[in-house]
Amino acid sequence: MNRDLFSRRSLLKNAAGSAGAAVAVAQGFSSAFAQDASPAAAPPSGTITVSYPDQAGLKPKYVTQAAESLHSANAGTTINIDLENVGDDDFYTKLLLALDSGNGPDVFHMGGNSAGELADAGYIEPLDAYLAEWPDWAQFYPASVQSSVQYKGQTWCVPYGLDTRFLYYRKDIFTKAGLPSDWQAANVADILTSAVQIKQNVPDVLPYALYGGQAGSSGTADHAFVPLVWAYGGEMINADGKWIGESAAIRKALDYYVQAFQNDKVVDQEILTTTKPWTAMREKLGSGGLGILFEGGWVYGGWYSKDKAGTEANVGYTLFPTESGGPSFTIGGPGTCWYINAASKNKDLAFAFIKAFNTKDIVAALNAEDPHPAARSDAAETPAFKAQQFLLDSTASLEHAKFIPPDPNYGKVITAIQTVTGLVADGELSAEDGVKRYTDELKTALGDDLVATES
Amino acid sequence: MATMTPGRGLIAWRRNRSLIGGLLPAASLLSLFFVAPAIWAIYTSFTNRALVGLDARHPRHVGWANYERLLHSPAFKTVLINSLVFVVGSAVIGQFLLGLALALLLDHGEHRGYRATPFVYGSVLLAWVNPTVIAGFLWVAMFDFYYGSLNKTLQFFGLSGVSWLGKAPMLSLIIVNTWRGAAFVMIIFQGALRTIPSQIYEAARMDGASAWQRFWDHTLPNLRQVAAVVLLSVTISTFGAFLLILTLTNGGPGTKTEVIALYAYHAAFQSRQIGYGSAIAAVMLGLNLIFAAIYLRVSSPKI
Repeated sequence: MNRDLFSRRSLLKNAAGSAGAAVAVAQGFSSAFAQDASPAAAPPSGTITVSYPDQAGLKPKYVTQAAESLHSANAGTTINIDLENVGDDDFYTKLLLALDSGNGPDVFHMGGNSAGELADAGYIEPLDAYLAEWPDWAQFYPASVQSSVQYKGQTWCVPYGLDTRFLYYRKDIFTKAGLPSDWQAANVADILTSAVQIKQNVPDVLPYALYGGQAGSSGTADHAFVPLVWAYGGEMINADGKWIGESAAIRKALDYYVQAFQNDKVVDQEILTTTKPWTAMREKLGSGGLGILFEGGWVYGGWYSKDKAGTEANVGYTLFPTESGGPSFTIGGPGTCWYINAASKNKDLAFAFIKAFNTKDIVAALNAEDPHPAARSDAAETPAFKAQQFLLDSTASLEHAKFIPPDPNYGKVITAIQTVTGLVADGELSAEDGVKRYTDELKTALGDDLVATES
Repeated sequence: MATMTPGRGLIAWRRNRSLIGGLLPAASLLSLFFVAPAIWAIYTSFTNRALVGLDARHPRHVGWANYERLLHSPAFKTVLINSLVFVVGSAVIGQFLLGLALALLLDHGEHRGYRATPFVYGSVLLAWVNPTVIAGFLWVAMFDFYYGSLNKTLQFFGLSGVSWLGKAPMLSLIIVNTWRGAAFVMIIFQGALRTIPSQIYEAARMDGASAWQRFWDHTLPNLRQVAAVVLLSVTISTFGAFLLILTLTNGGPGTKTEVIALYAYHAAFQSRQIGYGSAIAAVMLGLNLIFAAIYLRVSSPKI
């Protein structure tokens, strides 16, 4: 990886700028929310339920640790833990149905990007009053991290590990293909050029994985279409908060799909139908069966825990290139965060749990194990965290991060992206027709007023 | 002095009260679990109700907007065609014919006392008793391009893997749904075959009728009304099937296997637009009622 690019300048300095732009969009809306709840001064007591999904098995011990520390400090408290062994998507649907019926857990765990749609629905409690009473928030959470979980001027959840993404590549496959093992894609087109070279010279591996269609879930947007649009110099949403349906960058991004799936055929068509294709693609890159993959920074932890030496030797990672330049940017995000249910009858205890979980020690240990840039600056300074080069690089990558705006309509936009990328990748639509269909899908889902066209 | 005589309505009530009393529990349960949700869905289809965002907090009536949106949706035509192909392929042809053939074979086997009959019956039944999700993942384990047992077997013999779900997604789904649903049809037809008096066949044999003639002239006419109910049942259940498809292809590649039930699910629970998803479900309900009317009309005894 290019160390110059990832110099240790101030943590999240540029991320703050990017997130600030996103927040500016969000803040364009007028606030329509009630006053924050006032935290009680009395020690917490009573019972709460904490619900969260986890399939990797990394979080339960830290959730239990937080619950036990809270209980031992406050004897009258009971923390019921509801661990759901399902994927985030499945958990979210179940959670929304519970919240919609006025039920649901007191505290829950979900992506910070959902703050806008959850806040608009009235499902979650604004946390500003609680955070004002918690010194750690002002002291250890950088402004960029704080702003990444704000919507309509209020803070809605507390993050602990931030998201970043990398363009991963297998050094051993690159060497066999006659490509440099310290690869830095010269531009977006170079990803496809390199994949073609892998296809020609190393025929027994998959050259490249690009998510598309419904099967790719939110990865179709976050790990494929959105970075491509940004790479081609476009935006997903304009300064007026309107989603862009037709633009030169969107046309180029869809043409990239045509090139990858139909012309160069460097991405397997099966990625469009395989159930949870990311499971197979991540496994294949880790085991040397896939050449190139743009994925979450957290994926590295799975490979690293299985085969430390092999991963360090063979898995390269770099930022995403642009149309005219080499490694340039990544996609950042607040990661998974803790929210408080607006219908909770014990919000004080709910926030006390969040504080008990978001300690320096837990945040450092969990992010070292499940690699994410730490949301707390003091956690990022611990020896265990600093000992891992990948974590340092992940943290530094956020200096070059762009952030998806916390717009409540993003879920509908993802559906439009899945529909169109699936059709284009499958050869049912040309890139040009795909652009028109994307605009139609957006207008149908959001209404004409929320969709813009750029030349 | 005039004599008090009960009215016609009262007489009818007295005559039918035991009938009404007997039907009431079933009617109440059906109303609670089928009619009420259907009415709720139809009502919701005229709103912009959502699971997230401002529409979740303040849903409002939007008239026919969801239906207009559905009719103008570029995907709707594809979804209807996919549904038709899936229903005709897997229910009307696949499940119905395979189920009927299996029932006839097993009936024949029982009469002849073949020892393998119970094993065949049990193995066919296994496909049906599995929960749909497990059945779906079982086929994922076979069809999967990268790790599926079908491709692993091909690779073992030095052959390259086949993209079962990529190259022939609808055919793959039809095969799976036929496999899964044939047992139900088989059981119903087996029961119906047992009600046909054996004397009919004995008389036909004495008249010199061939096996095909006995089937065509005696078996099929006796199965006619059951066949209509079976066809209605498998058509409606297949038209509403989405879990198997969700597990295997999730509607892809592109929209090649996106059927109407899956489309409704994606709209309601993936795009979180409950109002729009309900409009799709209401259209499904209407189409199912049309199917039911057609089947019942065709199957009604001709006088």
